Amino acid sequence: MLTIYPEDIMKRRNFLKSASALAGVPLLLRGVGVSPFGKSSLLRFLNPDSDRVLVLIQLNGGNDGLNMVLPMDQYDKLSVLRSNILLPESAVLSLTEELALHPVMTGVKSMYDDGRLTLLQNVGYPNQNRSHFRSTDIWTSASPADEYWNTGWLGRYLTENHPDFPEGYPNSEYPDPLAITMGSIVSQTCQGIAANYSLALNDPFSLSLISVGAEDEVPDTPYGWELTFLRQAIAQTNAYSDVIFQAAESGNNLATYPENNRLAEQLRNVALLISGGLQTKIYVVSLGGFDTHANQVDANDFTAGSHADLLRMLSDAMAAFQQDLAMLGVEERVVGMTFSEFGRQIASNNSLGTDHGTAAPLFVFGSCINPGIVGDNPQIPDPQDIEPQAGVPMQYDFRNVYGSILMDWFEVDEEVVKQLLYDEFQYLPILNPCTPTASAEPSMPDAIELKAFPNPFRSSTQIAFSCEASQYVRLSVFDLRGQELEVLINKTLSAGEHVYSYSPDGLPAGTYAVRLQLGNGQAATRLVNKL
Amino acid sequence: MNRRTTFATLLGKRRKLPKSRQTAAFVPASSGLDPYTGSWEFEQAAHLLRRASFGPTYQDIKDAVSMGMDQAVSALLADQPMPDPPVNYAFSDDPYVPVGETWIDAPYDPNINLVPYRRASLLSWTLDQIRMEGMSLREKMTLFWHNHFATEMNVVNDPKFIYRYYSLLRENALGNFRELTKKITIDPTMLRYLNGNQNTVGSPNENYARELLELFTVGKGDLIAPGDYSNYTESDIAAIARVLTGWRVAGYRTFNPNVSVASFFNPNLHDTGTKQLSYHFNNAVITNAGEQEYEILIDILFQQDQPARYIARKLYRWFVYYVIDDTVETNVIEPLAQLIVANDYEMKPALEALLKSQHFYDMAYIGPMIKNPIDFAVGLFKIFEVEIPSALQAHYVSLLPIVDFLNLLQMALFNPPSVAGWPAYYQEPSFYRIWTNSVTLPLRREATDLLSTTGYGQGDTPIRIDVLAFVATLDNPLDPNALIDEMASILFPQPITEYQHDYLKSVLLPGLPDYEWNDEYGAYLADPNNEDLANAVESKLRNLLSAMLAMPEFYLS
Repeated sequence: MLTIYPEDIMKRRNFLKSASALAGVPLLLRGVGVSPFGKSSLLRFLNPDSDRVLVLIQLNGGNDGLNMVLPMDQYDKLSVLRSNILLPESAVLSLTEELALHPVMTGVKSMYDDGRLTLLQNVGYPNQNRSHFRSTDIWTSASPADEYWNTGWLGRYLTENHPDFPEGYPNSEYPDPLAITMGSIVSQTCQGIAANYSLALNDPFSLSLISVGAEDEVPDTPYGWELTFLRQAIAQTNAYSDVIFQAAESGNNLATYPENNRLAEQLRNVALLISGGLQTKIYVVSLGGFDTHANQVDANDFTAGSHADLLRMLSDAMAAFQQDLAMLGVEERVVGMTFSEFGRQIASNNSLGTDHGTAAPLFVFGSCINPGIVGDNPQIPDPQDIEPQAGVPMQYDFRNVYGSILMDWFEVDEEVVKQLLYDEFQYLPILNPCTPTASAEPSMPDAIELKAFPNPFRSSTQIAFSCEASQYVRLSVFDLRGQELEVLINKTLSAGEHVYSYSPDGLPAGTYAVRLQLGNGQAATRLVNKL
Repeated sequence: MNRRTTFATLLGKRRKLPKSRQTAAFVPASSGLDPYTGSWEFEQAAHLLRRASFGPTYQDIKDAVSMGMDQAVSALLADQPMPDPPVNYAFSDDPYVPVGETWIDAPYDPNINLVPYRRASLLSWTLDQIRMEGMSLREKMTLFWHNHFATEMNVVNDPKFIYRYYSLLRENALGNFRELTKKITIDPTMLRYLNGNQNTVGSPNENYARELLELFTVGKGDLIAPGDYSNYTESDIAAIARVLTGWRVAGYRTFNPNVSVASFFNPNLHDTGTKQLSYHFNNAVITNAGEQEYEILIDILFQQDQPARYIARKLYRWFVYYVIDDTVETNVIEPLAQLIVANDYEMKPALEALLKSQHFYDMAYIGPMIKNPIDFAVGLFKIFEVEIPSALQAHYVSLLPIVDFLNLLQMALFNPPSVAGWPAYYQEPSFYRIWTNSVTLPLRREATDLLSTTGYGQGDTPIRIDVLAFVATLDNPLDPNALIDEMASILFPQPITEYQHDYLKSVLLPGLPDYEWNDEYGAYLADPNNEDLANAVESKLRNLLSAMLAMPEFYLS
């Protein structure tokens, strides 16, 4: 195990800066390839004066996507696999003929009707890890599943413009916190190399001043490092408490927020601070309790229970927040996004609950979005074919959602996004940056046809798709635990019809997913191997 | 007070340090588990007691100095009797338990909610066990196991269950890791917390099986192949879930006086099929053994050294520091793990070796641990021997503000945020630093201000630090320089600088020469019943104490 002392990392940062000026090659930090920041700073195309705000809603515990957004065309199969929890067909809120929301999510439904919501289906990552802690680390750091990164994805983004943070912050140019986590623990998404970029905040009216005593030199030992950390944390708390208090005092809330809703409470404070003029760009709020192994529904009423309570809180809070932003006249400055470490397994367990799974839907919301539904309904395997622990196959890599938001909302150059996230980044037109200078109307890519025949198959099948132009293609096979088993195509193909003849070698009988990335589009379909 | 003025003043006071004044670069310690043979002075003894217990008094430290390291560590490891259980301290409406009697075996009542007072009783009583503890490692290790085999009272909301769970950890705090793992696997609280009580043949619930591997025993490694986490695979989780089918829990919030808190095995719910583990466990095959099957399973998990390595790293982060680099891995973790294996997973020999090791007393590791909120809060009561009322109700009630304080500081007792325990002991890269931020730092300051000045409580005598009594225990309180240095040695892990010393003296004696302290304190000593004299020195001492406890040095151990 290679471990680097935290203060070493700071020194290494400086080393990275100077080394990368000499050679634009990736350097190894903590055994992980990272992009040299010096290089990216030459390329970056950031707009630090933008007043746009990103609000992340973290749903802790692994949200059961299939109980939140129901693929109604799969209802018959779900009614077998989830017989003890599945929402009654008559109760759901229809979004389209084939897609419906949990009945408690009236707030989200109205946001959808008002064009304030984008629903992305089947978001996950290859080689799904089903540990809460590891998968949360993956979602917050945006690392590949098999690499350990110690920084958060927003922390790396903020490092682009603020490489020396926390040294010298706040200052006259940046008097406000760069990011805020509502709660008592800072979010890992904002973890930078030297420090976490976010300030923990419970109550904007009561960040009290604290004393640092007398400061003097410290030894360059673990004792000195921790002491320096504490002194910095104290000094920053003092400095930021004043601006936050001022913003809270001059801010306002105009909408009515639901009572007894711990998420609404956090979002209300976010709206208050935004309206009070705080220039913080990133807020992270959270709602816990989604680890619903047991009793996620009431035995007598599947529309009620602990998961319904959580979804109601989420939906009511999002809707009130959106309404507040509109009434405060800051709607066009804010977009929000939900995320959770994983979805849950397709089949329910006997405890009226569900176990850790794979991909799940997420919401992006605001007025500057391309509203609607992105992606296809997950295909549920035939109940007699279902593998133990099967989850929903992933269609969209979450890093493509992150990167597209960075590009459209914070105007980060695509090359920089690739360095912050991953080289295979694909842009998704989720946002519509509401500015007069915005380029031509972005549109979602056309639906992609992906077919396999025969399917189910024995020994060999033909996978067919077509390219409208010369396009980058990645075709791969996943198992239903979310592992990417085999990459069949990974290159640019010419325009026209393509048929890939797939004859798996030693692939056990069972249900798999074949996933196609085509330009900016993705599609996934089920594949049944009968041997 | 005007916020903005204070703000400006505070910032103006900050002293920027030239880099050149910093001392020589740190070289990571190469010291290992070999016995420490250096000098045994106040600093080493204080370090041992701060890490192995909660908030030693001045006398405790001096005792440990004169005992010597071997004897001090032996005393810490000595077995202690189990405490008397918590009691009903005030709730006169409990139909089963009169005030003064324990509720740990009493039923609940359909008409009166008995949970809140019993929960408060359990929390207060548990903190009191820490507060009252003498020279012993037991409470610190009990809390270690709570952080390791974490459960949440928010989920298992029955104080009788939690009492039983925490007592199991306390009884086994210095015992055998493997045997404790067996006991916790069928502990009623754990069965409910991780849905083991819903794990049934034909419909396994994997929750406990996953955490047993990932968090409790072998630990999770890198994903090296699909579903393979270096030390176990997804199929192991599925197989182990089947092994553990059939366990059920009785007595949860029961109204029935004849039903006690218990776990039991129902053979009809048990999967009697053969279970096969992966190559990580030598492809072990477990055939049906009914009620004994979980023990067979855990013996298999502990046949490899991985649980020893995993627990050795957790001990290191609990007692030493959070950075585990290659040197520490080679020089400390591996020998510690081998010692655990060689002693058949008995923990005492490993704890003894660690607390007597060169590495433990290496200067680099004296002071870099940010105290967790329990250590910080209960430690304050212990260091200063803060008196609390002895009358039953007042006694229990007086500790409840600490319970609330711990909730605010993100270390709610019996309610870690998840089954992984508190993030300060696993979350890279911040670790201990997670305890302190813009929310929790002001709260720490408020707590020390309260205890060092006005105090709290409803009686005639506020609960607070008796600063005159504390100072009377010092060797040379007449000399303001010795007073400050002695207090610093008790409160801070490393000596303060001359600049800090001068700052503290300016707090004690603003703009006055040293002899003024000698005069004032001397006058008080000569006439201790003179209230004017006592008040004069007491207010000065409270200023000093408040300033010292607000220094971040006090947050370090």
